[in-house]
Amino acid sequence: MEATRAKPFFAEPLRYGSAVAFVSIALWLSLILQVPFGNPFWFFFAIAVIVSTWFAGRGPGWLAVALSSLAVLYFFIPPLHSWSIKLPDTPFFATFVLCQVVANWLISWRRQAEDSLRDARDELEARVAERTEELKNANDALVRQMAEQKRMEEDLQVTRTELARVVRITTIGELTASIAHEVNQPLAAVVANADACVAWLSREDPNLAEARAAADRATQGATRASEVIVRIRSLISKVTPEKSRVQINEIIQQTVALAEGQASRNNVAFEFEPEPDLPPVFADSIQLQQVILNLVMNGIEAMSSVTERPRRLLIRSQALSAGQVEVSVRDLGIGVRPETMSRLFEPFFTTRSKGIGMGLPISRSIIEAHGGKLWAESDGAHGSTFRFTLPAGDGPAA
Amino acid sequence: MKDKPGAEPVVFVIDDDRMIREGMQSLIRSVGLRVETFASAQDFLMAKRQEAPACLVLDVRMPGLSGLDLQLKLSAANIQIPIIFITGHGDIPMTVRAMKEGAYEFLTKPVRGQDLLDAVQKAIASDRELRQDRQELREIRARFDALTPREKEVLELVVAGLLNKQIADQLAMSELTVKTHRAHVMDKTQAQSLAHLVRMSEKLKTPRK
Repeated sequence: MEATRAKPFFAEPLRYGSAVAFVSIALWLSLILQVPFGNPFWFFFAIAVIVSTWFAGRGPGWLAVALSSLAVLYFFIPPLHSWSIKLPDTPFFATFVLCQVVANWLISWRRQAEDSLRDARDELEARVAERTEELKNANDALVRQMAEQKRMEEDLQVTRTELARVVRITTIGELTASIAHEVNQPLAAVVANADACVAWLSREDPNLAEARAAADRATQGATRASEVIVRIRSLISKVTPEKSRVQINEIIQQTVALAEGQASRNNVAFEFEPEPDLPPVFADSIQLQQVILNLVMNGIEAMSSVTERPRRLLIRSQALSAGQVEVSVRDLGIGVRPETMSRLFEPFFTTRSKGIGMGLPISRSIIEAHGGKLWAESDGAHGSTFRFTLPAGDGPAA
Repeated sequence: MKDKPGAEPVVFVIDDDRMIREGMQSLIRSVGLRVETFASAQDFLMAKRQEAPACLVLDVRMPGLSGLDLQLKLSAANIQIPIIFITGHGDIPMTVRAMKEGAYEFLTKPVRGQDLLDAVQKAIASDRELRQDRQELREIRARFDALTPREKEVLELVVAGLLNKQIADQLAMSELTVKTHRAHVMDKTQAQSLAHLVRMSEKLKTPRK
């Protein structure tokens, strides 16, 4: 064990001073007690050396050994009060010195063992403290990270909400531009074909067949333009929903009645399975009709090319456990391809030549404005199912 | 690369809307022009075209390759054909871009029939002229390329307005030799006069459009 790591009780001068003091006390006691007890110095000096070594360290111990030997030589070995020694007394004195040396050596050895033990313990404690600190730091960092993550998640949520809003606004802008395009396109066709018609008629050899074909196309263009306008008008006419307490089953029945003509022309059979005790919903009945009619019409359209199986459209209503009402419209048509599935609800996405691709996006926005959801499920090549949910309730939600 | 004698001009109509396409086709055919229609720019690029005066009636806004994309592709491939763009409303930035790339004409949808026919006729006339210019230039270049290096040197100095004597001094040859070279130059380039020779060599120097 290195000296620097020993931790004596006293500073350097004090340690050696204490050794001198202990030896002095031993000498004093020995001189006083010499009268009644003969030669008691043996014990007192031994104690002085032990105490010095134990408390002040090995160096002061050696000093105590030296001082006590000198004191014994001077005061207690005859001739008294002199530094000389007679030959017969030499073994005795030597034994005394030897005992002192052994005591010093044993004690300092023991002391060192204790010191190193204490050092080891201290070191261990320091290490434990260090590890505890590290753990604490790690824990703090973790707590901070978690707080940071939570904040980021909140930020993300805010950003998402904002993004959704921007997307909605952008969609409206795009919608307007696209509507202009949608109307302008058939008008351009009308003008081109009408001009062509006039040109064929005003030739020197008028070509009536070409003129008629051009006039027909002009009419088709005009019809297409008016169709677009009808769709847009129905889309815009009801901007703010007028909500009231409505029974969804009644609305489905009314809508099915509206679509009956279209269905029979296409050989489609309706199958309506209403749940009898459906809770009412608080909604705009005309908008819901629009949604259901749109889904029904889509279903009829999806089965227009089906010939090998009956064309059936299954409409079902049911109450869901979480205070929701669900309506599903299932067709046995050609189904929706996976790559089409993700785009179904995009504005102006359509798989039909005549569609403008607004039915499903508008339906979805209506249902979402009512606090519900609208989605599609494909049944592979055997049709698809469109479902929407609405929260049940007979008044505005709290 | 010579146009076939009497190659019939052709108008290419590219529009994704069938009814517009057919209307324009019918209109342009009614004045006796040949029309080929395409539903997309890709279809047009894949189709074989014969050498004839032509113009392109192109909808700016199309799914897939847009009208502007096609314009860039054509000019990158060094295919020179006048383009009449048909634009919807609010396509001003597109218009500017197309103009910068050298669009021939811009018509706003819905296009008046007479406007379209006028534009088509002018574009075809312009293409015919350009084609003739290019053809003529090719021929002149071929004739000039046939000159020997010595004849070319003489040509340079003749065109610069030097007299035979001066040319002989500068090129260290006899005046008679200069005269012989000069006669070869006039003969090979089919120049009818000195002025004609100068005009032809100027044409070759102006960069090709």
